Formats: sequence, C-alpha cells, structure tokens
Amino acid sequence: MPWRRLLGFFRKFFGKKKIIRLGFYGPPNSGKTTLANRISVDWTGEPVGTVSEIPHETREVQKKERVTVKFGSKKLIMSLIDMPGIATKIDFEEFLEFGMTKEDAKQRAKEATKGVIEAIKWLENVDMALVVLDATKDPYTQVNITILGNLEARNIPVVLVANKTDLKDAKPEWIEEAFPQHPVVKVSALKGQNLEELYNTIDKHSR
Amino acid sequence: MKIELEFVSSDVLNPMGEDSKIEYIIDKIKKDKILITDDSLSHKEEARLIEETMKRINENFPGIEVSTLKETKHGFREKLIRLLGGKTGGLTIIGPSKLIKRIKKEPQQILVLAERK
Repeated sequence: MPWRRLLGFFRKFFGKKKIIRLGFYGPPNSGKTTLANRISVDWTGEPVGTVSEIPHETREVQKKERVTVKFGSKKLIMSLIDMPGIATKIDFEEFLEFGMTKEDAKQRAKEATKGVIEAIKWLENVDMALVVLDATKDPYTQVNITILGNLEARNIPVVLVANKTDLKDAKPEWIEEAFPQHPVVKVSALKGQNLEELYNTIDKHSR
Repeated sequence: MKIELEFVSSDVLNPMGEDSKIEYIIDKIKKDKILITDDSLSHKEEARLIEETMKRINENFPGIEVSTLKETKHGFREKLIRLLGGKTGGLTIIGPSKLIKRIKKEPQQILVLAERK
C-alpha cells in the first residue's frame, strides 16, 4: 500500500529504526521454528518455540518481541512471529505413525486446524514475510502459491528462505526457478549457515 | 472404486458471492466429488477456502487438495479477449484429500492421481 512506502520513506529520512514485524510463513515442517529459534537464541539467548519431526508442532502463533540483530555496521530490530504451517489437509492418522495415541493425534489435528486459520488471519498484521521452504521438496505447490499470492496481494515484502541446504538432496535452484519474482536466500537454519546474507536481504527489502 | 468428477461452469460460480461460492465447493467435496471449474479462484478465495476447510475437518473429512491454473494475462490477444469481456483460460481442481492421492502442479498443467480404497 502507498502509505506503507510513504511511512518507510519518512522513517528512513529521519533515521528512525522501525521494528519489523517479521512473519515466518510456509508449509508444515519446512523449518520455520528452527529458523526463528536460531535467530532468537543467537541474539536474545531464548528460543521462540519447540521443534519436532511430527508435523504441526507449532499450532499457535508464537512471538519474540524486539529482537535486535547486528551485522556489519547495520542493525535490524524485529518482532519474530512464528506462524503455524499452512496446509489444506490435516489427517490425524498421519500423527499415529509417530507413535501418538489416537486421542492425542485427534487433539493435535484439532489444534492444528485452528493454527492454520490463525496464520491466515495474521497475514494482515506483518510488515514482512519470510516464506520458509524445504529445499529438498518441490516448491511449486498450491499452498506455497496461495501463501505468496496472498502476501503479494497485500503488498507485503517477501523473502523466500530455501532452508535445509545442508542436506544433500537440497535443490534451492528449484525455488529460484519457481518464484523468480522474489529474492531467495539459501540457508541451513539447523546449522546457522548463511544468516548474515538473510539479514542483509531482510534489511534491503523491508520498508 | 468409482470416483465422481463434476465439471462446473464458471457461469454457475461467478454470480455467487464469495461465501456462497466457498460453501458450494466444500459441500460438493464433502459428498466425495472432485470438482473441476473452468475458472481460477483468486488467491483471497483460496485462502478463504483453506480457512473454511479447516473449520470442517474431522475424523471423516481430513481436508482437501486443490490446484489452480491461473488465467493467461500476457499477450495482446489475451488482453484483447479480456477487454471484450471474454476469458482466456484458468482452471481449478478441488477434491477431498482422502480421494486425491497425489496432485502435482506445473506452470501449465496439473497432474492428479485419485483412488478410492
């Protein structure tokens, strides 16, 4: 929206550092919480949330307010907003494969559906989005296209994070080919690789 | 083993408001039909469809699979057709996830594998 740009211009002009509300979006198990934790632990000593190999571990929006990141001669002040993974289906039977009881699996599925709704509603309340994608998987899915389309429609700056680049099957170039309209940063959130480039890209594209 | 496909003209869906459109789609899918429309949902409608699907998920309805090919917007011919009120393509396939085992989207085609157990 034009007023966002105007506000950004005045902030830059008067040298006031804005707190960026940074939303971590993406499908389940792409590493959103791992990345948010990596940034948060590095700069505040505290994590944002718990991670798990079981999909939909993050079922509520989790926040870490006012995280100051310094890189080179620059500084970013961000509120990290870790979103539940967005999906079109949540089958409790998938959770049973991880050894959960039927009752726990059903409860997890119920909470996960609410999380997806919450993540979509939060699209209105972020200044910038990191769309975190698993670089070992095909990025051209309807969920990813829907997330990006909704961010673009709201004129919210997007940085695509090609995560899990430490894995040998990672093909971050797939993400660059699928969504050439957005900057792509290749990282390993787990190993903390290439985060300085991520901070530079956030700084460059935030308003 | 039968799977029912329903082709719906955009003339049926387009006059509907967003709420009615989403309601219509989910109603068909919950009846175990795979719906194909000759129009694409907007990104906002896709997000609404996901939200409304989430509200209805239960033991028997684990969700949906959806894939959309957007209307071609580039090229003089396409622009002219749209200027004259015509459509230049677009397609949406939506179905229950318990029937659609695999859906793969490519820029100009959608591959669907459906199976009823």
